[in-house]
Amino acid sequence: MESTLEQHLDDTMKNPAVVGVLCTDQQGHNLGCRGSLSDEHGGVVSVLAKQAAALTRDLTDTPTVCLESESGNILVRSHGTITIAVHKITS
Amino acid sequence: MGCCYSNEDENTSQDPDEIKPLIPHPNPISKPPNGTDWINPSVPSARTDEQAILTSILVKTAQNIIDVSAADSVVMEQHEYMDKAKQYSTKLTAVSTSLPQKKALALPSLTTQPHQVLASDLVSYSDIQQVSKIAAYAYSAISQIKVDAKEELVVQFAIP
Amino acid sequence: TAALTAGLDRIPDQLGYLVISEDGVLASAGELENDEHTASVIMQMVRTANRFRLSGSADHFRSPGSEDVPFKRMSVLEDFVLAVTVSGQKVFVVKRQHAHP
Repeated sequence: MESTLEQHLDDTMKNPAVVGVLCTDQQGHNLGCRGSLSDEHGGVVSVLAKQAAALTRDLTDTPTVCLESESGNILVRSHGTITIAVHKITS
Repeated sequence: MGCCYSNEDENTSQDPDEIKPLIPHPNPISKPPNGTDWINPSVPSARTDEQAILTSILVKTAQNIIDVSAADSVVMEQHEYMDKAKQYSTKLTAVSTSLPQKKALALPSLTTQPHQVLASDLVSYSDIQQVSKIAAYAYSAISQIKVDAKEELVVQFAIP
Repeated sequence: TAALTAGLDRIPDQLGYLVISEDGVLASAGELENDEHTASVIMQMVRTANRFRLSGSADHFRSPGSEDVPFKRMSVLEDFVLAVTVSGQKVFVVKRQHAHP
């Protein structure tokens, strides 16, 4: 049920240093988000994951993309049909 | 030239530079090929209304006609074409250098010290593992969204 | 190009690098030598990532004075790491080994 994902997002936010989480499908539709990440980020996150996939020769492996700044990192990772973005502040 | 312009008064708000010829006409008083100059557009008020209307129709029609036979006068020799093409391309290069470099603005400037930024510590392996795990859990959570069929969806009607 | 790449050779665990401008690859070495494919994908990713902005409510996560810079470095992490940054209208890409397996 849908609440499984919602529960998972809530649990993710309980991790130390995590201030935002977003789950999107391949088209950039927002499936759920918490904290600093919101609807508006879905498009960029899904496109970034798709573009990064073109860098790997091994099609079974998906790369992680990280946007780094002094205050924190946005980590983007796909799994199957979904893409996750996690905003972690520097601890 | 300019015989293909319609005389309608549109785009009056446009920047005059946009419609200004790139290379000024070498002979500005040359006769336009549509031959509008044979009629005097100003209608003397002494004429009757009917005549005035007829004249205005004539003027309008003449303005809208492009006399193809008169176009012979603008035929250019091969070398003239080459010269024109050359003139235009040098003129364009001159104009384009003064245009703002829109393309160059597309790249953000993230740092002034790229080497240090690239050499600094990489994202920790535990962070990568963590986000990979979160993604895998989220995927399995999504996969669990399915119809929970509690009853038979196809009901058998009693067939006699 | 010597000035562009001088520091890149000294980056720890580097396996190769690319320096790209709007017009194409300016310099390349090691495992990224003449890697036009990686260059074009990284270029697209930089443009995409540049559109990423945290909303106003998350202002306190930003360091002061870096309002318009969405990030400082972009990394693509796999068996190896591609570290990317942009400076002076040039994109710098360095291929590095993971510090730890």
